[in-house]
Amino acid sequence: MVGAWLAPFASTARSARGTAFDLAGKPVDPLKASAGKVVVLVFVRTDCPVSNRYAPTIQQLSAAHEADAAFWLVYPDKAETAEVIRKHDSEYGYKIPALRDPEKALVKESQAQITPEAAVFDVRGHLVYHGRIDNLYEDIGRARTMATTHELEDAIEAAASGKTLAVSTVHAVGCYISDLE
Amino acid sequence: MKVGLPTFSGFLALFALGTAGISGSYTTSARQSVPHGAATQLQVTFDRDIAPIIFRNCSQCHHPGESGPFSLLTYADVKSHGRQIAYMTGKRSMPPWLPDPGGPKFAGELRLTDEQIATIQKWVDQGEIEGNPADLPAQPKFAAGWELGKPDVIVRAERPYPLAASGTDQYWNFIFRTPVHRTRWLKAIEIRPGDKRLVHHANVLVDRQQSGRRMEKVPGAGFGGMELVIESEAFDPDSHFLFWKPGSPPYVEPDGMALRLDKTTDLILNTHLQPSGKPELIQPTLGLYFTDKPATLHPVLLQLGNDRELDIPPGDKKFLVSDDFVLPVDASVLAIYPHAHYLGKDLLAYATLPNGTRKTLIHISNWDLNWQAVYHYAQPLDLPVGTKISMRFTYDNSTDNIRNPNDPPKRVMAGNRAADEMAHLWLQVLPRETADATVDPRVLIQEALARHHIQNDPGDFGAHYNLAAILQMKGDLAGAVAEFTQAVRIQPDDPIANNALGAVLLASGRIDEAIGHLNTALKGRPDYFDAHYNLGNALATQNDFTGALSHFRAAVRLNPQDAGAEANLGSALAETGNLKEARLHFERALQIDPKNEVARENLEQLNRDSQGRPN
Repeated sequence: MVGAWLAPFASTARSARGTAFDLAGKPVDPLKASAGKVVVLVFVRTDCPVSNRYAPTIQQLSAAHEADAAFWLVYPDKAETAEVIRKHDSEYGYKIPALRDPEKALVKESQAQITPEAAVFDVRGHLVYHGRIDNLYEDIGRARTMATTHELEDAIEAAASGKTLAVSTVHAVGCYISDLE
Repeated sequence: MKVGLPTFSGFLALFALGTAGISGSYTTSARQSVPHGAATQLQVTFDRDIAPIIFRNCSQCHHPGESGPFSLLTYADVKSHGRQIAYMTGKRSMPPWLPDPGGPKFAGELRLTDEQIATIQKWVDQGEIEGNPADLPAQPKFAAGWELGKPDVIVRAERPYPLAASGTDQYWNFIFRTPVHRTRWLKAIEIRPGDKRLVHHANVLVDRQQSGRRMEKVPGAGFGGMELVIESEAFDPDSHFLFWKPGSPPYVEPDGMALRLDKTTDLILNTHLQPSGKPELIQPTLGLYFTDKPATLHPVLLQLGNDRELDIPPGDKKFLVSDDFVLPVDASVLAIYPHAHYLGKDLLAYATLPNGTRKTLIHISNWDLNWQAVYHYAQPLDLPVGTKISMRFTYDNSTDNIRNPNDPPKRVMAGNRAADEMAHLWLQVLPRETADATVDPRVLIQEALARHHIQNDPGDFGAHYNLAAILQMKGDLAGAVAEFTQAVRIQPDDPIANNALGAVLLASGRIDEAIGHLNTALKGRPDYFDAHYNLGNALATQNDFTGALSHFRAAVRLNPQDAGAEANLGSALAETGNLKEARLHFERALQIDPKNEVARENLEQLNRDSQGRPN
């Protein structure tokens, strides 16, 4: 796997932070809700074409790793309402639970910068990977016919193996989360 | 009895695309971008500095219903993609415009200045300040519905194409049966491809022989494929670019350059579709705009290329394909369309004038198939006779090229599939009249092109076929026989070439040989009107009227509106003694075409005979 290895302390204890919400408006902490499993947060945006094109891949990965990993979609755009997200998820065939992250709590915890970007937490709740799903896109508008490396899947498998890992990252291609309010 | 002349179809045009938009585009009353002294200005604001750049260069695609995946019409829109815009413009990935600066000027150029790009970057760095609303120019207005107003005729694809949620890009062709009852002149086609976010580009091909229909598995459903071979009619091959890409307004042909549309013409829309992440149905619509002014100017599409040279070893990062063609007449270049697939890297075309001056025609140093386009020159480029037009295309078949369809790379050759390659350069040129008014300069160009293609590749079926058709038209029957024979040698079962060779052998009096080729044509395509008609004629020449009769009957069944076939059927019936039925068919021929001489003369003879010998 390519990419920079960050200092391991980046993934240590979780401090006080904001809250993410489910589509009913209820506060949800996905790491607690899926305790005992590897947790995968996938940051997406309804109007980001790269993140939309990944919908079938994300759904497929979540099904393939159902036994050992819990997937959550995270919408960091304050302006995207629960209604807009529901409609979007149904159009794109998403069955993964969706969260709104208007305070960017999960964004910060995952060090996510881009949509689509995935963050993987091990069973102890430590961040072990954040970055691209695979290498389909080299840049916006520059896509391979198909991906040849699969970073998210590798990270899930590594996390599920129970080994202690340093957090790794490979830069994702898509829309900047920092562009959002 | 007298029979009509042989008939055959003419040129084969490979993927003769269509006109392109890009010109015109929208104009805004907004001040054109660059703020006074952007470099020194302290603070960049959206209202004063950024909005004019965005409104003029981005909003035409980035507004609801258009191809851009999000709108860029307001401060909030632009801010929510601010860093992305700075990034994409900084790399010149947006707005999408492939030609390098420094060449000739094209209509509708979409290229930001270095200063504009720096201004956007600075705005983002400074925290994306909105500014003073008094500075904000009016938001651009875009036509809702048809951009050229209500079309004269609207046609919709009969059946939608279901595009899967994921997977590789798809190439689908929709056939539109032309809804005109007489010949009309088209000045514009507005292509509404369906959801503009999914259709990356589209071409209209004019299919006068309805040859695309044979490729449909279900009538009306269309067919797959990236590049098409369309038969086109003799000496009037299509010479217009009918091209659509996102954000380009429909191209309106100048006066005198309208496109002929007959009631039997099919329009084929060749689309490049990209999966969006959810299943989609694509059902395009065409809006047709007519004019009363028929075509008086006749451009020609010049195709340079060298498919035989295209044999790219795996790993080769700089594989060169070149071609050079010398103009046999003075001509003005109106538009240019360079075309390669995913391995294409650097596409260059230039002209060397007889005095040695070299002019760039187009240079794309960062080719991207996804943004391919037809480029119309802002002013036609006048090139004198003897100008050499050169094509130099470079390909990257290594893993450095991320669009490489093969991983690991493998040997790639010329072909029509997305994973094959192409090295084609098309120019739309308007030839000048030559000193000898009896010589059509288009014919000179077509003949020179066909000979050029044969020189590049003696196995070029289409070039032999086209050269034969030109020689036949010029009255050189022996030359035509030789070239059609070459074409048939290359593709022995091809029905069109066999029919054409049969027809010209028939015209040369070589009846037995003609019959052999016409039978081959019918073996390949039993419902081939032209071949039945010609074989009927050939058999009639040998006094085999019974044989002729069955083929003329087949011809009339296949095309009940052809006066010549009706007249010849009448003749064969008369020869076999069936005068009553013969008379019916002569009359029918004259109903279709009152000027049909064969039918008129034969009918007169029947009338004289019946007066002379009452039965």
